[in-house]
Amino acid sequence: MHTKKLALLVLFGSIFMPVAQAQIKHIEMRVEGMT
Amino acid sequence: MKQHLGRQSGVEKVEVSLIDGKVDVTPKEDGQIDPVQLLKATYDSGVTAAEMDMTARGQIAKDASGNLALRIRPNQSFVISPNELSKGLEPLADSQTVVTVRGQLYKKPAGKKKGDAAAPLKLLILDVQKKE
Repeated sequence: MHTKKLALLVLFGSIFMPVAQAQIKHIEMRVEGMT
Repeated sequence: MKQHLGRQSGVEKVEVSLIDGKVDVTPKEDGQIDPVQLLKATYDSGVTAAEMDMTARGQIAKDASGNLALRIRPNQSFVISPNELSKGLEPLADSQTVVTVRGQLYKKPAGKKKGDAAAPLKLLILDVQKKE
């Protein structure tokens, strides 16, 4: 039973982890007219 | 402008260099930041954005028209402008591979005083940093 739960946890973890890791890490802008 | 951008949702830190006109925006840990809103906030603060580059991690997806896109989250993705580097990402389309890329999201059209901040942003890949 525990093995089944663990297997499901690993399965769902592998499916959702890449999406959870996705993010914008940094933004850089060059602007004009700044004083 | 620093305060204006700092008030945008998802923004952790804004650093402005007056000398070279560079603005560095660090998103919060959750990364829920909207570049379109940042561009709009930049215009609202009275300055013109000449260029916007982004480093982001996401998955490569292909839409119905065959365009590649970098999907950051289900409701946030950026269509990728085709170039040599984007060709290398094509095999990863709709896979579970997460890529970290640096790309240009916006560049003010040459000769124009002000670009169109409302135009959809396209990501021109400048560097593929990591494939996981």
